[in-house]
Amino acid sequence: MNHGFRTLHPVVLLTYYLATTIAITINRHPFFLFFTVLVLILFNWVCDRGKTMKWWWRFFVLFGLLLFLLNPLLNHRGQHVLIYLFNQPITMEAVVQGAINALTFVALLLLFITFPRIIDSSKFLFLFSGVFPKWGLLAMLSVRFVPLFRIRLEEIIAVQRARGISLTTGTVRARLKNGFALVHSLLTWSLEDGIQTADSMAARGYGLKQRSRYNPYRLHPSDIFAIGTIAGLLALTIFGSWLGDGVLTMTPVIEPVYLTGREWTFFIIHTLLVGFPVIVEIKEEAQWFYWKQKN
Amino acid sequence: MESGGNFISATSHYGKVIIWWLGFALSIFLLIEEHYILSTTLLIGLAFLPLFFHIERSQITTRGIVMLAILAAVASVSRIPFAFIPNVQPATFIIIISGVVFGKESGFIVGALTALVSNIFLGQGPWTPWQMLAWGVIGFCSGRLKNTWFIKKRFGRIVFGLLSGFFFGWIMNLWVVLTVLQELQLAQILFIYGSSFPFDLAHGLANIFFLLLFSKRMVKTLNRFKKKYGILYREN
Amino acid sequence: MVLLETKKLTFTYPDEPEPVLKELSFTVNQGELIVIAGPTGSGKSTLLRLFKQEIAPFGKMTGDILYEGTPLYSLDKEKAAREIGMIFQDPENQLVMDRVLNELAFGMENLGMDTVTMRKKVAELAHYFGIHSLLNKPIHELSGGQKQLVNLASILLMEPKILLLDEPTAQLDPVAAKDFLHMLDLINKEFGITIIMVEHHLDEILPICDRLLVLSDGKISFVGNPREVIESIWQREKEPFSHYLPQIPRLFLHFHGHETTPQVPLTVREGRDWIKKISVRPKEHEGEDTNKQMGPSLVEARNIVFQYEKEGERIFDHLDLVIREGEFLAIVGANGTGKSTLLKLLAGLETPQKGKILYRGRKLAQPQPQEIYYMPQNPKLLFTQDTVREALENNLRKEQNTGIVQRLQELIDFFRIKELLDRHPFDLSGGELQTVALLIVLSSEAKLLLLDEPTKGMDPVIKEKVGNLLKHLQKNGVTIIIATHDIEFAAAYSSRCAMLFHGAVTASGETSSFFKGNTFYTTAINRVTRNSHVPEVTTLEEAKRLWKVVETL
Repeated sequence: MNHGFRTLHPVVLLTYYLATTIAITINRHPFFLFFTVLVLILFNWVCDRGKTMKWWWRFFVLFGLLLFLLNPLLNHRGQHVLIYLFNQPITMEAVVQGAINALTFVALLLLFITFPRIIDSSKFLFLFSGVFPKWGLLAMLSVRFVPLFRIRLEEIIAVQRARGISLTTGTVRARLKNGFALVHSLLTWSLEDGIQTADSMAARGYGLKQRSRYNPYRLHPSDIFAIGTIAGLLALTIFGSWLGDGVLTMTPVIEPVYLTGREWTFFIIHTLLVGFPVIVEIKEEAQWFYWKQKN
Repeated sequence: MESGGNFISATSHYGKVIIWWLGFALSIFLLIEEHYILSTTLLIGLAFLPLFFHIERSQITTRGIVMLAILAAVASVSRIPFAFIPNVQPATFIIIISGVVFGKESGFIVGALTALVSNIFLGQGPWTPWQMLAWGVIGFCSGRLKNTWFIKKRFGRIVFGLLSGFFFGWIMNLWVVLTVLQELQLAQILFIYGSSFPFDLAHGLANIFFLLLFSKRMVKTLNRFKKKYGILYREN
Repeated sequence: MVLLETKKLTFTYPDEPEPVLKELSFTVNQGELIVIAGPTGSGKSTLLRLFKQEIAPFGKMTGDILYEGTPLYSLDKEKAAREIGMIFQDPENQLVMDRVLNELAFGMENLGMDTVTMRKKVAELAHYFGIHSLLNKPIHELSGGQKQLVNLASILLMEPKILLLDEPTAQLDPVAAKDFLHMLDLINKEFGITIIMVEHHLDEILPICDRLLVLSDGKISFVGNPREVIESIWQREKEPFSHYLPQIPRLFLHFHGHETTPQVPLTVREGRDWIKKISVRPKEHEGEDTNKQMGPSLVEARNIVFQYEKEGERIFDHLDLVIREGEFLAIVGANGTGKSTLLKLLAGLETPQKGKILYRGRKLAQPQPQEIYYMPQNPKLLFTQDTVREALENNLRKEQNTGIVQRLQELIDFFRIKELLDRHPFDLSGGELQTVALLIVLSSEAKLLLLDEPTKGMDPVIKEKVGNLLKHLQKNGVTIIIATHDIEFAAAYSSRCAMLFHGAVTASGETSSFFKGNTFYTTAINRVTRNSHVPEVTTLEEAKRLWKVVETL
């Protein structure tokens, strides 16, 4: 897709991921986090119609449940005892805490499964090499090699299978040995060919002087506006968390999960921040809709 | 941004030092405020920075860059033939031997780069810096210890392989613990570490297996290329 | 105007007693397209690399290399990097970035250009090359030919005055190779960029080059206009270089060489013009045993339907093919018609969705390493051991047969590869590696040999050696199937050809008759002789057998 959130400047995109990660980790409130998860599911759906999510959901449910249950089973602090299980009190506080833990974890994963769709490898390397040019080049080379080596390794596996080297039959030890022989073969072959790669770099003047960097992205006014918005929302969220509005108070008495008064303001700010990509997408959809109607 | 310049060369040495200390202060503040994950992630970043800058400044030759990139890429794809056992792959082994043959800087680069590059294909996230740290440190240590009992003796290698398997797993658990748990409680931490134990053990045993069976051959191969590629770092 | 000049250039590698280049003196003029040919080990690549100081080999050099009148090695480094561009043989290994656009920018970034300049130059060049649609593609999705074009484009963006190319088309299929050479020709003619190219496959390049320089043993054997060089090669020393001559000139020289010659034909058109002037009487048939008794069916593909992925393209759609014992079958066809895939199916490496592969009448469910030997395009894939000796012995240990040990020893002596035994397989040259790979078959009990592009990137002398070796194997009862783009090779050595198209075998027949029916997909010699008044032939050998030139007009 060539429209919407992902067409913003990579710096904007990275800022969003950083800001949202921070917001999720500091706002430890089940009400906040529950809606965060909902918004992120929406984001995933907008991103690729939920394809990646479908792949991951079992894992999310499993680990979410595990983390949710882990806390009340192991942590018995709190005043509101719900029931006794194996002579151990299961407290309200611990259940809520477990929910917060699970929601934080799932929210972070939901956020980052969208990452490769939004910041693909070339944008990521662009950002990375902006800060660390040499590391950027190393990573760029490696990223270029990985698909090549994967193809090479699969070829080696196939050809060696024809020679009777199997990874699927025999003892585990034999299979491990065979597997390593294939990786070793890939390594030797690739290092051998790598000299040509280095020569080709040198032949094109690498290392003669400070490199410049081709920048395929332009920073538009809308990008600057977006960075400003995200940064502003993040600042307000941090402020809210510092005031204690984004955090569910547990001690001395657990506060109600439902929000009151000023908390609503910070909840809206937090949700706007997390839902920023969804808002951009909706705005864009609306524009398309009206553009089509006019034409 | 348009010019493509980078702020590293633009910022003076003192500027960098000041930024570093400001970052450090912030992470301490976050620690006091009990935002463990933000604080520790920041600390990891701060620990990385001097190393990253050191490597940015070092004069790696063109061939050196290509070689390190190849080692990391091979380590990243090396799990493919081992898909039949969970958590068994020779990536850690390749990183260890890279450190042994090419020294601590190269070991660190190969380790950190392997994590970074693998995650470009498997999924980038807040866990990336932690993995970079884990593998980077393993590569660094093997390079640092290359002339010691740990790497030279058979028993030492067994210990080193096992430890690095657990070290990698524990660093990843640490990320989970710090991210998810609001109150750090021993029981839950033990539970998380316990549940990853079989996987970490498999990782460690695989390291031992590869180290015992193949380190000689691998060292020989890498030494052959060390000679072929010539020097990796030019003197400043 | 002289652009590059060598004066008594001598170069010796460390630890080598003999220099590889001996007092070479020649000049390269601005705008010329020069081809350097010569046998493996003649110093071609060394010479080319000495022109590129960033990658010049280590060793002792005497004499001078002058670039625009000044010593090349005292040239400003940046100027040298920009003005002298170099392209290597393997398109894959030269690429360093993951996207085409980044690859194109790589050289310019090294020179410190700013984004605005780079963007403008990339725009211009993408237009000229017509590669707009490729710019945002990941490198690994490109074909070999596209990769080599990207390499060329990346260098041209640095605005070189001279391009050095080391066998740039050796790894490409014939169509891509033609496109690439066409592009070089354009660049040479439209921008006046000087080109020096090392190549041993001369058929396509000779008609467009200005001068041909033949090196042997580090000395210049011949240099000059390609036609003149070809003639003097033929006249002076028939044997060593005649293998390198393209088919059409060889046909001409064979039947014509002894007389006062008109111009040597280089293209099919020139060849046909020459044919008009001769009159040929067919010789008496010497009863070539082309219709040798064929054995029973060895391997059979029945009704094969195959695709790699459910959503992917259907590679084979009800394909049928029978291969009989003792055959030498060449599978030909365009890129992407599934030649390699068919070999993999026959090797038991892939399983068809429908239909079955029968080996000796039994369904082939998995690879049969004892019986079927599969050799991939890149023979490096076969070697997991650290020395040639280990690779050969690894095979023996399984066989446990003293007769074979004996035979292997003889073969090692016969092919004179004793000195290779302790080297790492990857340190061998392409031809040597191929020979060792075939030795493993010779020493094993394999009955069926499957070879994918066995002649890719091979020097003509080694190609002939391999061809004869395969013939020898065939005589010893080994059935051979090759997948190849090399029409000349298929025509010269195989006994039957099968052409793949649209998921099935569209044509198949005995090699000699197979090509005679084709219009486009046939050998150069066949294109010269078909529909003419002389008997139609496909190879020089066939012409030697069948023709008797009675008079020349």
